[in-house]
Amino acid sequence: MKRILIKRGTLVLVDKGVLADRDLLIEGNRIVRIDRGIQDPQAYVIDASGFLVGPGLVNMHVHFRELENSAGGDGLLAEMRAALKGGFTTIVVMPNTNPPLDEPLVVRYLGYRCREIGLVNVYPAGAITRGLEGQKMSEIGLLKQAGAVAFSDDGKSVMDSHLLYLALMYAKYFDVPFILHEEDISVSGEGQIHEGAVAFRRGLKGIPRVAEDSLIARDLVIGYYTGARVHFTHVSTYFAVELLRWFRDKALISADVTPHHLLLTEEAVDREGVFAKVKPPLREKRDVEALKEGIRDGVITVLASDHAPHKGKSKEMVFSEAAFGISNLEIAFPLYVKALVDEGVLDWVGLWKRMSLNPMQVLGMPEKGFLAEGAEADVTVVDPETEWEVNIENFESQGRNCPFNGWSLRGWPVYTIVGGKILMRERSILEP
Amino acid sequence: MNDLKWAHRHLLGISDLSKEEIFYLLEKANDFRNFLEKSPKRLANLKGYFLVNLFFEPSTRTRVSFEIAAKLLGMEVINFSTSLSSVQKGENLRDTVLTLSQMKVDILVVRHRESGLPLYFAGFLPFHIVNAGDGIREHPTQALLDLLTIKRQFGKVSGLRVAIVGDITHSRVARSLCVGLVKLGNSVVVSGPITLVPRSIEEVGAEIVFPVERAVQDVDIVYLLRIQRERQEAGYFPSLKEYSIFYGFDSKVMQLVRKSFVLMHPGPVNRGVEIASELVEAPFSLIQEQVTCGLAVRMAVLDTLIGSD
Ligand SMILES: [Zn+2]
Repeated sequence: MKRILIKRGTLVLVDKGVLADRDLLIEGNRIVRIDRGIQDPQAYVIDASGFLVGPGLVNMHVHFRELENSAGGDGLLAEMRAALKGGFTTIVVMPNTNPPLDEPLVVRYLGYRCREIGLVNVYPAGAITRGLEGQKMSEIGLLKQAGAVAFSDDGKSVMDSHLLYLALMYAKYFDVPFILHEEDISVSGEGQIHEGAVAFRRGLKGIPRVAEDSLIARDLVIGYYTGARVHFTHVSTYFAVELLRWFRDKALISADVTPHHLLLTEEAVDREGVFAKVKPPLREKRDVEALKEGIRDGVITVLASDHAPHKGKSKEMVFSEAAFGISNLEIAFPLYVKALVDEGVLDWVGLWKRMSLNPMQVLGMPEKGFLAEGAEADVTVVDPETEWEVNIENFESQGRNCPFNGWSLRGWPVYTIVGGKILMRERSILEP
Repeated sequence: MNDLKWAHRHLLGISDLSKEEIFYLLEKANDFRNFLEKSPKRLANLKGYFLVNLFFEPSTRTRVSFEIAAKLLGMEVINFSTSLSSVQKGENLRDTVLTLSQMKVDILVVRHRESGLPLYFAGFLPFHIVNAGDGIREHPTQALLDLLTIKRQFGKVSGLRVAIVGDITHSRVARSLCVGLVKLGNSVVVSGPITLVPRSIEEVGAEIVFPVERAVQDVDIVYLLRIQRERQEAGYFPSLKEYSIFYGFDSKVMQLVRKSFVLMHPGPVNRGVEIASELVEAPFSLIQEQVTCGLAVRMAVLDTLIGSD
């Protein structure tokens, strides 16, 4: 059997909280040995000197658009390639696909197609409500049986409190987490960007923080009351962090952020136009600081990305007509390095843990997401030093809607190994 | 039969009865159950007494059971089920039943969707009142017929373990049965969709166990409740299909129960929802026997209430 030996790298032991200079041997789809000075003349050797070798990155908030198009599922392939390029071995796909993941059959189909393509591990999130319309609970048990690992109406909130209350209680039977997009649409309405100085100056309708904060407050209380597992995704305001902090030891809650909410503020709209149009909107400096503080003190334990590809170039479009969303799957890790490691908020181990072990814990798979002998061989190798420029023209993703074009970043993934197979080598995808 | 002095004018709920009183009724009902095997069946115990069935909620089953029970005891029966259906509550309802009282009936069997309505009637009506189901509160004759069925099956009605599965929240059957079983020294576990299993059931002595597969292990009796489609429409669970797969009793669940277990259901059964169709009439099913025991229990109740005059 073919073996892979990763030599002379620095292992990121996220479960132990340390970096360690060790070699790592993979046989089949398992990590079989972690030790100093492993010799194996038959193994394929990756020289990882100067590189960080950690568990495969996990991104629990990714969007696919079309499950099937005329060319036969190219959309899936492109986003899975983008994930590999970004060093991700596991991604959670939000259910607002076309067709949506609200039917067991569609969830099964997605799983089947992704296994057939066979690049990264794709876990579907099932819809909380049918058609993500917020009216009727979807078949949570059957969706879980079909492969859904979490539930979300992402892109929207469940506005009906009673419905969310019943759904959370109902879902406890199946022990699945809810990933909540928190936005009171009666408050955010036609809002385009954060309700702040830029919106005022440009004459755009604003989205105030209260649209997010009020629903987070509501759902912290509902989550606490039901005892269900609630995960708040793409948190963006300073007050949300305070609310989460108040509840952190009281309820089974967790939260994630996106890299763009850490690196950009409302002012990015002036520079990047529609590319900086995203939900929740890019906020202000005080929000960014609070998010970082929440990450530092463990209120926010997961770093996701809310990768939302939109095809085509929409720069020319009228602002109000452009879609919300940022494509960032292949640059998420280097962006987090800039936002958190370079700023001294986290060290490498801390960063990596929030992008591997912690999301796995939220998803109810605490036995995954770290390096160990016997563990599945999902491994990502990162070059921590070399700087490369972001070039959206080279994106694997179908979405080029990205405000980070031209940024010089370090911490790029250089190898992605999924289930013992090297699928990305020296920043190039290997054809399977 | 023992010589307990019956102390209740009405039968409003299992909660009002002592352990001794329940045993007394069960013993009497057991005699009636044996008697039902004989022919001719008609007795003259209560000849000349009048019973009124006042049903504000449709239930052919319970109404007919009371009617036959009364007739077997020689009573006259008057059914008010549809003619009064427009009467809802308040003064109107009070006037209507006061009129009934002027007609000098002896016993009123009442069903209403309002919890506590029979109790309200008992406050001003001069005759015996039997609660045939009030809202989500109590259904005492159902609980008694279930206990009689159990007693005849196991030779005892204490020290058993019973799993009640389904919509506990909206079930007067579950509430009465649970109270009765606990009172007689049985242990009760409840299960079903979490949205339909209220935490407060623990206060009457039941234990909540999820999932259903775990709840039915090591029990003597699996008691399934009828699932109403309205509960799905109200959002308590997503679909009947999902209900049947995760909470329904089928051959998969059959693998998990004791060999000696029995299955019960208050009827009517939704085949393929709370129970797989082929299991309804299986040898371990007491569903048919429950119906006959219902008749015997109602005879015992009528005989006891009127006999205590
Ligand atoms: Zn999203």
